[in-house]
Amino acid sequence: MPIFDQGYQHWNGQTSGHAWRWFTIARQGVRSALKGRLMRIALLAAWSPAIALAAMLCVWGLLERGSTVIASIRPMLEFLYPQLIADPKHFRVVVWTLSYDYFTIVEMQISMILILLVGPNLISQDLRFNALPLYLSRPMRRIDYFLGKLGVIVGFLAMIVVLPATAAWVLGLLFSLDISLIHDTFRLLVGSIAWGLAVSVSAGLLVLAMSSLTRNSRYVALIWLGLWFISWVTSTAMTDINRNRQRNRIRTDQFRAYQEENSTVAPKTPDEMRQEIRRRQNVRQQGYLHMQQLQSDVWEATKTDWRPMISYTTNLTRLEQQFLGTQPAWETVASFLPPEQQGAYLMRMSGPQYPWIWSAELLAGLSVVSIGVLQLRIRSLDRLR
Amino acid sequence: MLFQFEDVTKTYGAITALDNLSLSAPEGAIGLLGPNGSGKTTMIRSLLGLIPIDHGSGQVLGLDIRTRQLEIRRQVGFAPEDECLFPNMEGVEFVAYAGELVGMSRKDGMQRAHEVLDYVGLGEARYRRCETYSTGMKQRLKLASAIVHDPKLLILDEPTNGMDPAGRDEVLELSRDLAHNKGMSLLFSSHLLPDVEAVCEHIIVLGGGKLLTQGKIAEMKQAHRLGFELRVKIDQAAFAEKLKTLGCTIRTKDDRLIVEVPEGRGQQLLWQAAADQQEQIRFLRPQRGTLEEVFLSAVEKN
Amino acid sequence: MNSVAPPLSSVVVFHEVSKWYGNVIGVNKLSLRIPPGVTGLLGPNGAGKSTLLQLATGQLRPSQGTVSVLDQRVWANPGLNRFIGLCPEQDAFYEWMSGWDFIFTCASLAGMKRPQAREAAAKAIESVGMTRHMNRAIGGYSKGMRQRTKMAQALVHDPQVVFLDEPLTGTDPVARRDLMEIIQRMGAAGKSVVVSSHVLHEVESLTPNVVLLNHGRLVAEGNVREIRDLIDKHPHRIVLVCREYRKLAAKLVAWDDVEGIEILPQRNGILVETRAPEVFYSRLPAISNEAETEIQEVYSDDDSLEAVFKYLVSR
Repeated sequence: MPIFDQGYQHWNGQTSGHAWRWFTIARQGVRSALKGRLMRIALLAAWSPAIALAAMLCVWGLLERGSTVIASIRPMLEFLYPQLIADPKHFRVVVWTLSYDYFTIVEMQISMILILLVGPNLISQDLRFNALPLYLSRPMRRIDYFLGKLGVIVGFLAMIVVLPATAAWVLGLLFSLDISLIHDTFRLLVGSIAWGLAVSVSAGLLVLAMSSLTRNSRYVALIWLGLWFISWVTSTAMTDINRNRQRNRIRTDQFRAYQEENSTVAPKTPDEMRQEIRRRQNVRQQGYLHMQQLQSDVWEATKTDWRPMISYTTNLTRLEQQFLGTQPAWETVASFLPPEQQGAYLMRMSGPQYPWIWSAELLAGLSVVSIGVLQLRIRSLDRLR
Repeated sequence: MLFQFEDVTKTYGAITALDNLSLSAPEGAIGLLGPNGSGKTTMIRSLLGLIPIDHGSGQVLGLDIRTRQLEIRRQVGFAPEDECLFPNMEGVEFVAYAGELVGMSRKDGMQRAHEVLDYVGLGEARYRRCETYSTGMKQRLKLASAIVHDPKLLILDEPTNGMDPAGRDEVLELSRDLAHNKGMSLLFSSHLLPDVEAVCEHIIVLGGGKLLTQGKIAEMKQAHRLGFELRVKIDQAAFAEKLKTLGCTIRTKDDRLIVEVPEGRGQQLLWQAAADQQEQIRFLRPQRGTLEEVFLSAVEKN
Repeated sequence: MNSVAPPLSSVVVFHEVSKWYGNVIGVNKLSLRIPPGVTGLLGPNGAGKSTLLQLATGQLRPSQGTVSVLDQRVWANPGLNRFIGLCPEQDAFYEWMSGWDFIFTCASLAGMKRPQAREAAAKAIESVGMTRHMNRAIGGYSKGMRQRTKMAQALVHDPQVVFLDEPLTGTDPVARRDLMEIIQRMGAAGKSVVVSSHVLHEVESLTPNVVLLNHGRLVAEGNVREIRDLIDKHPHRIVLVCREYRKLAAKLVAWDDVEGIEILPQRNGILVETRAPEVFYSRLPAISNEAETEIQEVYSDDDSLEAVFKYLVSR
């Protein structure tokens, strides 16, 4: 027929099952979030630690091969301990681990900012625009909706943690051209991917639950910021107060020992002088041992110090330490220092020492609560209006 | 058979929304009527499988509402009553996304979205963000997103709510076209009876969670053999008096007279009277029941 | 058109009123007199209906011109609100209050003493049929119940002038019938009721007097039928049903005022176009009384409010 019907046409195409629906929702969420300029800038900024990580690993690979390419920048590497540079292959695991450690710590802060930009809108906007009847009246389940929204967060965090970690690993491998590297550092690759997923799922569920509580995404953003900063500030304050208390104890003991050392009458005869010197040496020795004991007590105490757990991000860090296995690496580096400085160095650099399983349990608990909140808030239109 | 319910009961705590409801609806355009709180919304939700029913069974397009809910929703389109939008999208993205959520591929969704937006009459506006649309355009967008996957049954919940007369006409025109010319069955839930009459042939009236009555509109409207609706121009009251003297019974309704002529007479009587009085008959039609009467009598019987 | 009337019979008077918001025009040189009885206020979206209602109730100050109700200027005259009732379109209540509490509070706010307010509240709630539910919190009301409460609030202080903005949205046909009866009773009692609505057939059943706005300007005012007669551009289209419709057509073709005849076989009738309805209708009884051409039905789709609206407003 030469004139074609311009009216309604029927459609007989294929439709996929509801299992893939989460992907549609996640894709839409990611695309929608990327429409904002701020988001694109944040994403670019998020990749700079990745570039630094990749650079470090590549340089180390070249170092291992004794390549002349980096001869010019060897002097710049003197900031690292000379023992490390003397035998690059031996200390490869240490350097890689610590590089990944720094990378993930920075990326974690950036992830929190990213979640702040993306997360609050995810469900609260749907509530504000009343999009839920549109979603739920289509052939998909509530779980698909939640998975889709969670997928947005997982997608972004995969972009800034998993992807760079993997790419850097591959580049480091290529630059060192050593197959045994795979065996040595495979744990880092798997660990960083696992950590990325763990963070995205637990933080994602948390921000989704917050987002489902209100229609106004600004409140959610404020709550997220609050969670991040206030918990961090509280935790730091409590840890510092505790540490000050311990330090005061040490100092009082030191002062008492000093008093004891210098408490007698001035000696008159040479004999008395010799006695006095011997006595003071004893006291000093005892004091020294006592101090050592105190310091190791303090060190032991940090192993069960729960105060850092109050900060939300510290829990994520603790998980990262466990997955990447950073403790042995720090101990190795600490061994380069004179013994009396090692304890303090470790305390400063190796992060919280309490059992990692506590953090895992806390994060899992938060996730369960989040799931509960989500179930309650997004009921499948089964309410009497 | 479009859908049927057998002894369906649904309670929310102390409130019984559906009370042993049994009905079966034929294909075509069906109007769903009922006072507030009669269970219409609950019925629609249980049709879509969005709420579990306590007791009883039902089928939509041959699919059991308790076990095959996802398939039902694949074949049913729903335009809810309230304003609903997906946030941050242009019109065409909105409809394409709605199609993708049913399971269409991205390409199919986009192609179909444009086709359907042509049909509902959203031209260049489809490239603007949905938040900037007027009420009428939002309703049409909602309709487009409900038909993007070519459903066999389209459920419209108060589609002309808040629309100005031009917009209302367009939505009713689209609904009529889909139901009568394009073979889509329609469930039209509305409080505005003239709208229902303009689009549907059958009605279902619910009340208190039960079925009050159902049937074809044309059959349910009472025919009055001797009754006529009449309006004259010059002096209606005087004309009414004249007709009374001729043996008719008169009633006023709005600005018209309802006249019942004596047995054996017809319009002839009225024209004769008009010629005698030098009146102009401006409106003369046999008295027909209205859907409002059907509805009110069904509701008041309870 | 409304013929010249004694002063007080125009209850609401707009005299060359214009209102703009920044650069956007709300109403443009509007001059209007609304009499007692029920008047419909119509117009497409953006025509200025809400602006008109807000100007009439003193919520907005006219940029130009004056608005007076009951012979007093409305702006900055809160005492006048004692005689004005408003049922707005927006749905905003104190959700925790019961219906009774709310109406009683409104009555007290209108200046009634407690016993008076109690009585008035009970009466208003009774008239809208909410007595059964008046002790429940408004948060639990359905849409129709909220609408009825809004109406009660507009009437509780027995105002002389009532403005209703979309009063029947969301109401089911039962509530609609009840509320329309209330409106008609008020109109019959001599009060001035202005009903703004998009639902033309409802306005049609309430009153033949309408005010039609478009783009902020007054398009037409008065009785619908009279307005129709004034629309020259569109000839009246009248359907005649007759068993011998072709013979009838043959007869009508001979008349001067008939401009066109269309045969409608499926309706057993003809559609006649004429620009002189007076002449046409006055000749009909004679034709009908002739032997073969008794006319069974006469009607005009053209004569309704909807047709008038379409002719005057659509682009």
